[in-house]
Amino acid sequence: MEGGASVAIFWLLAALTVGAAVAVVMLPNIVHSALYLVLTFIGVAGIYILLEAEFLAAVQVLIYAGGVAVLLIFGVMLTRRGHIRQSNPFNSYHVAAGVVSLALFILVVLALGRSPWHAFPGPWPEDTVGAVAEAFLGPYVLPFEVAAVLLLVGIVGAILLAREEKGEK
Amino acid sequence: MGIWQLLSVELLTAALGLGLLAVGLLMPGRERRGLAYVATAGLMGIAAVAWAMREAQGVVLNGYIIDPFGTYFKLLFLASAVLTCIASFDYIGRLPRGEGEFYALLVLATLGMMLVASAGELITLYLGLELMTISLCILVTYRKGDMKSAEAGLKYIILGALSSAVLLYGLSFIYGATGSTLLEDIGRVVAREGVKPLLGVGIIFVLAGFAFKMAAVPFHMWAPDVYEGAPTPITGFLSVASKAAGFAAFLRIFFGALPASHGLWAELIVALSVLSMVIGNLVAIPQKNIKRLLAYSSISQAGYLLLGVVAFSVLGVGAILYYSMIYVFANMAAFTAATAFFNEDGSDEIADFAGLARRSPLLAAVLLFSLLSLAGIPPLAGFVSKFYLFVAVIGQGYIWLALLAVLMSMVSVYYYLQVAKAMYFGEPPAGRAAVRVPLGMQVALVVCLAVLFFFGLYPTPLTGYAFNSAMVFLGQ
Amino acid sequence: MITLSHYLALAGLLFVVGLFGALAKRNAVAVLMGIELMLNAVNINLVAFNRFMNPGEVTGQVFALFVIVVAAAEVAVGLAIVINLYRRRLATDVEEADWLKW
Repeated sequence: MEGGASVAIFWLLAALTVGAAVAVVMLPNIVHSALYLVLTFIGVAGIYILLEAEFLAAVQVLIYAGGVAVLLIFGVMLTRRGHIRQSNPFNSYHVAAGVVSLALFILVVLALGRSPWHAFPGPWPEDTVGAVAEAFLGPYVLPFEVAAVLLLVGIVGAILLAREEKGEK
Repeated sequence: MGIWQLLSVELLTAALGLGLLAVGLLMPGRERRGLAYVATAGLMGIAAVAWAMREAQGVVLNGYIIDPFGTYFKLLFLASAVLTCIASFDYIGRLPRGEGEFYALLVLATLGMMLVASAGELITLYLGLELMTISLCILVTYRKGDMKSAEAGLKYIILGALSSAVLLYGLSFIYGATGSTLLEDIGRVVAREGVKPLLGVGIIFVLAGFAFKMAAVPFHMWAPDVYEGAPTPITGFLSVASKAAGFAAFLRIFFGALPASHGLWAELIVALSVLSMVIGNLVAIPQKNIKRLLAYSSISQAGYLLLGVVAFSVLGVGAILYYSMIYVFANMAAFTAATAFFNEDGSDEIADFAGLARRSPLLAAVLLFSLLSLAGIPPLAGFVSKFYLFVAVIGQGYIWLALLAVLMSMVSVYYYLQVAKAMYFGEPPAGRAAVRVPLGMQVALVVCLAVLFFFGLYPTPLTGYAFNSAMVFLGQ
Repeated sequence: MITLSHYLALAGLLFVVGLFGALAKRNAVAVLMGIELMLNAVNINLVAFNRFMNPGEVTGQVFALFVIVVAAAEVAVGLAIVINLYRRRLATDVEEADWLKW
């Protein structure tokens, strides 16, 4: 993508992503928050496409928008209590949390402004899927195997913890 | 040495963990108790392999570092895992959940810690850290039907995930500023180009993430509740092994790869250390629950360990290594004793420890000496370990810091002795029989006590090993 | 022209919005959502650095993929605990779980 079009798309996606993220945090109804979360995830996938990381964009849509978000919605539905309209309140630390977050953002932006990046958009691999696959089974084979064990632990743990024992209830 | 040989400790641990998981599913419920013995024996065998490899050095699979420093930590993790297994025999047998999964998760958490201690690459480090966190979080929630345990698990997973996110944000800047996730390359680039502002921000985020993992003040608020709610043997494991893993990774990144940025984080570490020592020790005083008391004590221990980071020298790193190994035995002894007491009386309240000396002289003696070692009273090993840390910071000119640490150790003597007072001078509740301590636990407790006395009177073998590992690690 | 700094600023904004959510929310599921936003910000950082600073290799993308994998496992276990807790107390408020008690 060249020139003006990509600039416009970036700003559009950025506004969508951040707007949806703010909605996730601010809305009082947690079901709405979950739906805006899906929108944020899709916005981030768009950013990946803009960065020419197509495989990552696909994974983002499949796992985040399709998996994690659905899991979270399940979580919301299985644990409903009281009135759904007031299901996502702030806690008593929200002012301090806001101050900390704002301070960190200012810190990052200040550092950004003072960092000269001599960026070079060099030769990007044509076929990112192939390059990623080779990296996974080449230099990153150890974390790849660890990830397999980690997912197994996650599955076993989730079943162990969420399972209803006989005689419970 | 070939790649299989260098990775043998990790491979055996993974095989043991996955094997326990598989066998646990196949076995009928009644016979699963045997898995506890298999896990303990297996971990001891792996420790023997690790001991045989203590001098081995090599880099395999894109920056996975096998060196004496990493192997020292692996021995430490294995020792605490073995002690945790032994402490869990009776405790876990009473819970309505599977035993097979318990020991498998314990072994896999140990595997995660090993990966953290040996990782020379950020992605491996992150995955090891997460394997540890997720396994531990399930173990924390293992007391089914107990509200506190479930709450502790929730806090642990949320704060674990939150701290990982903060850590990762920092790591992403380190990757961006240096173009690599290999610690070796990162070190080279930072040494050549200096610390850019954005790298500095990244370092601060990474530091905050690690402070969470180590439970250093002001990132400690999760620790007391999680420690209180978790099954007691797991609390012991959390407080020693996961803290040590945090320090191992911290040293690898900050001493191994980013020594050039020392000026940026030195003062922050001093602040973390002072806050942890002061708040940890002062808040421990009014605690009524032995697990909460030990939780605050462990926060203060993080502060002492950070002294070794402040020292920024071979002596400092060696002192951290020595301190954490002694800390394993002192803290695991205290938690094992607390577990034995809980198995009998079902209580963690210090008031209920009244007259324990008459109900079980062994438990009272173990608890007394392990707490005294934690406080740093000679001739116990805790004294020697604190001594080296203080010498290390004084060597860098931080005399006020050493004085403060000594003062805070005295404060800690006060609250540790409160427990001793209850045990030795309190009246046991009427009609309570002697506390029964199973044989395996007795052996473990006596071994811990022997270690504390032996290395207190004759520290040379362990200090020699620790300082050698530190020297090889810092390449001096 | 969209530069690296634009992407980093976007990621920074997303990160602090997520952090605010994670710190300021009472509902445990909402806290997990905030953490997911933070992890997405991390991934934008990683991919942007990969694209602009180090396009010869795919390290940043690989890192981002691992982050996604771990996040999924974390959410699964986190929600299992939330459901476990809810069944016992019919509550998902982290504050009711004596959240951040000193």
